[in-house]
Amino acid sequence: CDLRRKLVIVFPAGDSWGIFAFLCAALWNLPAIPALNSTDEVGAGQSIQKTYDLTRYLEHQLRTLASTYLNYLGPPFNEPDFNPPRMTRAEMVPSATVDFELWRSLNDNARLAANYRAYTHLLCYLRSMDGQVAKAELRKNLGHFCTSLQGLVVSIASVMSSLGYPLPSPLGSASPTWAQGPGATSPHNDFLKKMDDFWLLKELQTWLWRSAKDFNRLKKKVPPAALMLRLEMRGF
Amino acid sequence: CNYVDVAVSGFPEAPGNWKCITHDLNRMICSWDATSSANRGLTYKICQFRAAAIKTPVSAVAGNDFECMLFFLVSFQALIPLTPQILNLSADFSTYTLYLTWNDSGSVFQHELDASWQIQILYKETMETVTLINYDSKLTGKDSILFWNWTSDIPLECTSYYVKIRCYINELYFTGRKEWSEWSPVRTPNSVMVFPQDKVVLVGSNVTFCCLYNEGKSVKFMKYGSESYPLLRLSKWSSAIKVQNVSASVPSGTNVWCSLVPDDVEGTVLFVGYAPDTPQNLNCETRTFITITCSWNPGRPTALYSKRRTKYILFESPKYMELPLKTTPTSKHACDFPVHANQKIYNFTLSASNPLGQAESSLLIDVNQRVHLETPDKFTVSTNSSTHAHLSWYIPGNFIKIRLLCQIEISNSNSERQLNVSMAGAENSNYRAWVDALHPYGTYTFRVRCSASEYFWKWSKWSEGKKLTTLEAPPARGPDIWRQRSPVGETVTVFWKPLLLSEANGIILSHEVVCYLRERMLKAHEVPVPLNSTEIKLGGNDCLISVIAKNRAGSSPPSRITSVDLPSDNVKTELAIATGNGIYISWHSDPNVTCGYTLKWCISSGSEPCNVDWEMFPSNAIDAVIKSALFQPGVRYNFSLYGCKHNGYQLLQNITGYMKELPPKVAPNFTVEETSSDSILVKWEDIPVEDCQGFLKGYILYFAKGEKGSSKTSFMEEGSPELTVKNITDLTKKSLRILGLQGKTSYRLDLRAYTVGGIGPSKDLYVVTKENSVGLIIAILIPVAVAVVLGVVTSILCYQKREWIKETFYPDIPNPENSKALQFQKNICEGNTALKTLEMNPCTPNSVEVVETRSTVLKIEDTEIISPVADSELPEDGSETGTGSHVVVSYCPPIIEEEISSPPIDEPVGSSQVIYIDIQSMYQPQVNPEEEPEINFVTTAGYKPQMQLPINAMKMESHSPTEEDLDKIAGYRPQANTNVWKLNSPDSPVSIQSNNENGSFGSPCSINSRQFLIPPKDYEDSPTPNNTGWSFTHFFQNKPND
Repeated sequence: CDLRRKLVIVFPAGDSWGIFAFLCAALWNLPAIPALNSTDEVGAGQSIQKTYDLTRYLEHQLRTLASTYLNYLGPPFNEPDFNPPRMTRAEMVPSATVDFELWRSLNDNARLAANYRAYTHLLCYLRSMDGQVAKAELRKNLGHFCTSLQGLVVSIASVMSSLGYPLPSPLGSASPTWAQGPGATSPHNDFLKKMDDFWLLKELQTWLWRSAKDFNRLKKKVPPAALMLRLEMRGF
Repeated sequence: CNYVDVAVSGFPEAPGNWKCITHDLNRMICSWDATSSANRGLTYKICQFRAAAIKTPVSAVAGNDFECMLFFLVSFQALIPLTPQILNLSADFSTYTLYLTWNDSGSVFQHELDASWQIQILYKETMETVTLINYDSKLTGKDSILFWNWTSDIPLECTSYYVKIRCYINELYFTGRKEWSEWSPVRTPNSVMVFPQDKVVLVGSNVTFCCLYNEGKSVKFMKYGSESYPLLRLSKWSSAIKVQNVSASVPSGTNVWCSLVPDDVEGTVLFVGYAPDTPQNLNCETRTFITITCSWNPGRPTALYSKRRTKYILFESPKYMELPLKTTPTSKHACDFPVHANQKIYNFTLSASNPLGQAESSLLIDVNQRVHLETPDKFTVSTNSSTHAHLSWYIPGNFIKIRLLCQIEISNSNSERQLNVSMAGAENSNYRAWVDALHPYGTYTFRVRCSASEYFWKWSKWSEGKKLTTLEAPPARGPDIWRQRSPVGETVTVFWKPLLLSEANGIILSHEVVCYLRERMLKAHEVPVPLNSTEIKLGGNDCLISVIAKNRAGSSPPSRITSVDLPSDNVKTELAIATGNGIYISWHSDPNVTCGYTLKWCISSGSEPCNVDWEMFPSNAIDAVIKSALFQPGVRYNFSLYGCKHNGYQLLQNITGYMKELPPKVAPNFTVEETSSDSILVKWEDIPVEDCQGFLKGYILYFAKGEKGSSKTSFMEEGSPELTVKNITDLTKKSLRILGLQGKTSYRLDLRAYTVGGIGPSKDLYVVTKENSVGLIIAILIPVAVAVVLGVVTSILCYQKREWIKETFYPDIPNPENSKALQFQKNICEGNTALKTLEMNPCTPNSVEVVETRSTVLKIEDTEIISPVADSELPEDGSETGTGSHVVVSYCPPIIEEEISSPPIDEPVGSSQVIYIDIQSMYQPQVNPEEEPEINFVTTAGYKPQMQLPINAMKMESHSPTEEDLDKIAGYRPQANTNVWKLNSPDSPVSIQSNNENGSFGSPCSINSRQFLIPPKDYEDSPTPNNTGWSFTHFFQNKPND
């Protein structure tokens, strides 16, 4: 699941918004990726804005996808008040339930790294989910979403590199259960698999919500206008 | 050296139970038993030496001089790994397998090490060991998750299982003792489960689900899908639900879940579907002879997906070959099977299976008979001639062993034909064909399809269509020609008709007109298209005219015609018959005509010179229907019939005709030439030929009486009874005299022309006939004479009877009966308002006995009672309008009333009585005490009512029905009545005065007659009563009248 090596993305025929958003991300990422070590802040300002936009778009896209997918899973997963306790096996997916204060106390680098890691794994899991869906239409939507999410992972990597942060190392030694990828642990019955899918969508929603906030905060910290000004000054 | 400060006093002893252990080969944890409490203030200093330096570890005590004692302790070092922790233990009940994951804590050590793990499985409540397993792994310096599974001999559901694990690190360089770690805490597999797990059942099955849970939990509810089912308690730790007749599940399966207290959810998924249907319409055919493609319809959907979906296996017995399924755009399934070189017959079996069952279909085929070729590709068409075309196409596949049959479709705008071509098969080859009998300069569309020739199975799809235009060829024949000599005969105009596309064989560029005189060419004209005529000067000679059409490919054969016109005499003009879409023309056969007839006509359109057209007929023809798209209905066409004789053409006949006759466009112009008192002479003009629109058949004249401007509608619509119709069929007649008309009368005339096509529009005219003078004179004279005679006779009579007339109309003494001066205005008693002569009043108060004549009070009262004012007032009371006469208390004595009409009297009297009593009783309680003396006076005055009414009864608040009855009998009571009047309006000054004066009633009244001698002037003038009297209005209004 090393995304940095997968820049060739096949986009399924989907809604034009998705293509547009993705193309935006991809186009912007293509020049950004070779210059991973560059710390050009103009690029950072732009890329933060675009990553933020992409996050918001994914949030919107996920809302539709989640409702379709949960309906596909059937009751009780599509019941609005269904809130099962999160059991150990649900650690199959990276949890976004980080304490708010703890999260705020982290520096930008740590937060971005956590985002990057989380989406990398969520994406891997999402891909495995894709293969099991019986409905072709839903499979198509999932594929579409995966591609967009991959765009987000690349975008985050690009933001990090443009801010001069190192990319987080591939799965560290203290990798949690979910780091092993799906299927690494004991086999599930179908109900537990559905439960995992349910949690995955829920986590994804929380992560996207938090990422939007993170990028918004980052955007304010690195305003593009200020950057331009600084550039001009440097020019003098 | 490390120091461990312990407060020791006194002599130290060698520390007991000295022990050093390490978990990570990095830090050593040493422990010893401290000496007895007496040795307080003791300081331990621990030094570590290399194992080599301490060759003989000695336990010794240093000299007593020092306060420090050194003990050499045998290093009792041990490597005991950290107690491992089980991350997860789960059970797969279907396979009786336990899955265990744990963290190897590899990061604790800095380098690679061999680790051994001991996993102990225990079961039953008594925790008996089932097995103890050793598992080796390598620690890599990083944390990693290890997996291990164990399969039980007996179902896991049967009893409780427990697992614990411990670790051993085999570090070769560690000199100390190596020991197993502590056992991890015992772990039981997650035992909340819903059964059966992920089962697949047939639609309509009854399924029971049970929920197992741990101690301390309880089930809140169990649901199948979104539906809750009643719980069946199976045991302390299990509950169940029964679901009857399950229906097909959704693609992801129906969830069955169990909600537990405290908060927990566990579930399973049930897949409900059908066993696979027998594959339908299994069809195997080859397209290329490389593979055989079998396709089939899966039949009824199974409602099972993903790994539970139907799997198809196609095998050809005796060989077995499982083949991947091809996805086809339709609902059909298909897969390919290779064709074997020396095999013709294939016996296919298709097996469909899913977890619920399986089905099969078989098919035996001879591959040579099941050839369904691919669509011909790379299709090209070419030509280098005007009638042939070469076709070429490609079909993929190896058809060396069979012959192919290809069908070529050749179509142009108006025809389509198919051509079958048989050819030898080849391998991945181009196939060629040759098509002839095409028309020169024809545009064709070709396409091709193929099949096996010997055993026809199916045609391939049509290839794409290719268009081709063949080359041009010389025109097939010469054009149709005609010639027309100028009236003088100096020139001749040659006409020709353009050739049809099929005859032209290309694009006609020009026509060559040549004039031959005895095989000698006189003149040649090259006329380019689109001209279709040319003029040739003859110069006094007749010649043979020849016309040739030319296109790029060549010239047509010549068409020839002679310029000779034979003289003709007595040429008649005949009428043709309109057929609606053509013109029927017939002629008399002429034996001299040897080379046919030519019928020539000319159609003019607008200002352009007319287009000459003609048609030729064989010599034996005697009639023809001429049709042309240019013919219009209602237009006259002139035809000339020429006969072709051996030495020239002769005009035989002129014919006029219409394609379709229409009613005349206009009405004939007509005028009234002459009028008399009884006749009119009408004259009209011919309608111009172009307005006739048909052959005129006659005129219709309508006439009837009618004024100009009275009505514009036609006679027929009016349906006038005097309408006269005259049909004039003699077309030569141009006038008509209408006879038998009335003099001095306006007539309306209407003349219309008609053809076979109908009657034309009308034109009307009004004409007034002249006066008949004799009749007029007679009409004046007769009345005058009659009037004179009558006047004379009357005068004579009057003179003779003058005495009688005087007596009758102007007498000397007038008759008083006729005098208006003596007429009274009203009949008082009957209330009749009509003026009449004085009559005897029938009203005679017979029950009033007059004792003393000096009293006027009674008279006044009486008078008052019958006051006509009461009458006049009554109608004001709406409620009693109809019975006004009844309400008014009549003082007509009963005797007289009886005399007049006895039967109807009861009713009015009775009703008047009732109202009388009502009013009285109603107002009785209001009796003013001041009035009482008057009553007494009345009594004393000698007037005696028929019945004495007690005063106290009158004063009662309400009276009983018995009293009412009594009152009815009582009849009339004028005194009481008088009182009531006064009581009604006690404030009225009139009513107060009434008893004393009553002068207002004024008129003297005869006691006997009870009639006013002279009607009071007041009464006549004013309807307002002096006394408010008997008026219902008054009761309610209670308003004093002045």
